[in-house]
Amino acid sequence: MPEAALLPLLALVGGVVALDATAVGQLMLSRPLAAATLGGAVAGAPAEGLVVGVFLEALHLAVLPVGAAKYPEGGPAAVAAGAAAAGALPGDAEILLIVLFALVWETVSGLTVERMRHLNVRFAGIPPEGATPAAVARRHLGAVAIDFARGTALTLAAVLLLGWLLDAAALERVPAGWARAALELSLVAGAASGLRLFGRGRWPFFVSGAALALLVLFLRGEGA
Amino acid sequence: VTDGGGGAAPGPRERRAMFLRGFTVQGSWNYQTLIGTGLAFVLAPALKRAYRDPAALERALARHLELFNSHPYLAGVAAGAIARLEADGVAPETVARFKTALRGSLGSLGDRLVWLRWRPATVLLGLALALAGAPWWAAVGGFLLAYNALHLWLRAWGLKVGLRDGLNIGATLRKAPFETLGERAAAAGAFLAGFASLAALGGTAGESAGPLAWALGVAAAAAGVALGRNVRLAAIAVLAAVLVAGLVVGNG
Repeated sequence: MPEAALLPLLALVGGVVALDATAVGQLMLSRPLAAATLGGAVAGAPAEGLVVGVFLEALHLAVLPVGAAKYPEGGPAAVAAGAAAAGALPGDAEILLIVLFALVWETVSGLTVERMRHLNVRFAGIPPEGATPAAVARRHLGAVAIDFARGTALTLAAVLLLGWLLDAAALERVPAGWARAALELSLVAGAASGLRLFGRGRWPFFVSGAALALLVLFLRGEGA
Repeated sequence: VTDGGGGAAPGPRERRAMFLRGFTVQGSWNYQTLIGTGLAFVLAPALKRAYRDPAALERALARHLELFNSHPYLAGVAAGAIARLEADGVAPETVARFKTALRGSLGSLGDRLVWLRWRPATVLLGLALALAGAPWWAAVGGFLLAYNALHLWLRAWGLKVGLRDGLNIGATLRKAPFETLGERAAAAGAFLAGFASLAALGGTAGESAGPLAWALGVAAAAAGVALGRNVRLAAIAVLAAVLVAGLVVGNG
């Protein structure tokens, strides 16, 4: 688990990325790739955060916030996962647990978004004190503040739970080869699922990209 | 019949405030009026200028607190056009009909271009960079810079053309090259998906180059394409099964 002194900062970052997902900005700091790296950076190892961010991002590709759709929320879980990865100097089994926990926590987080949107109905419509600019601003920014608090609480809970799980689980029993294979096959499948977003008819582009990657791997192997 | 509007058009100060407030347009998203409260919050600086009478200003704000929806990056188009109509003293019924006509098209335009094309393509750029061995700051920075170039342009452009064109915004939206841009992003995205898939596979399979590893990787890629958005649930099931099996029967 990250040092206790870092917990408030991690919670703050979690609040910011929760806001970024929908309420404020939508600059995509909330995407798992960025949020996990941010979590890792807070814990002192952004590159370790990026490692779990890559797995989470590949499996988050097809999540679309269209209209009133219900969807998992990636940001707070990814901040916690990135921080855990940076703090634990993890092996493959630890990364497996971190990624799996984050995927489940994304779903929990998404449920709280849905609940908040129901609660936000109280901020809808004409304020009882009249529709003055100040009253509208109070209602609107009140909802933003609630979203921020939700994000900080979710991130803090995730960091603590994940820290406890990493300590409690007998991860040394999990063969590293199994964990690595499961993670990397999930990553391949997640990245490939991107083709469905763009239409299967674009398979020639997909195959061209795969061919370029093959060439890069070959050249790298030659160079090594 | 106007309702006391028709005052001054938004000046530079109001435009700046509307642009900045636009970043929070979804801040109070709710299942009753969707982004209605957010739209009123964005419009407030312009309405204060258009309505000098406080009672008329309250009535105008109340009208805009009603249900509204749009893609968040294109909400500026709606806010700009509505601010223009209010400054021109257009009747509230006309403004309401205009909002109803606009909200569906702004939602579907933005969803198709940004959520379905641009974002996955730029995310895959970040993934491809990371999997190709780029440093963390290049992978994350490359994604954020590419993504936000279009994002920030859409917000600034939307507010500008909305304020300029008012009721005629439909013609401007039809002429905008969203379809072409979406097509190109989709082609680039499919290419990057192929690159990232194979680069991910090469991460381990490439070291040993074992035929079984490559075969499993190709099968995983095919499963990913077949599963589409369901790949997330399938991955959770597989990862959980492997973890539990490892904890129960594994010995390191």
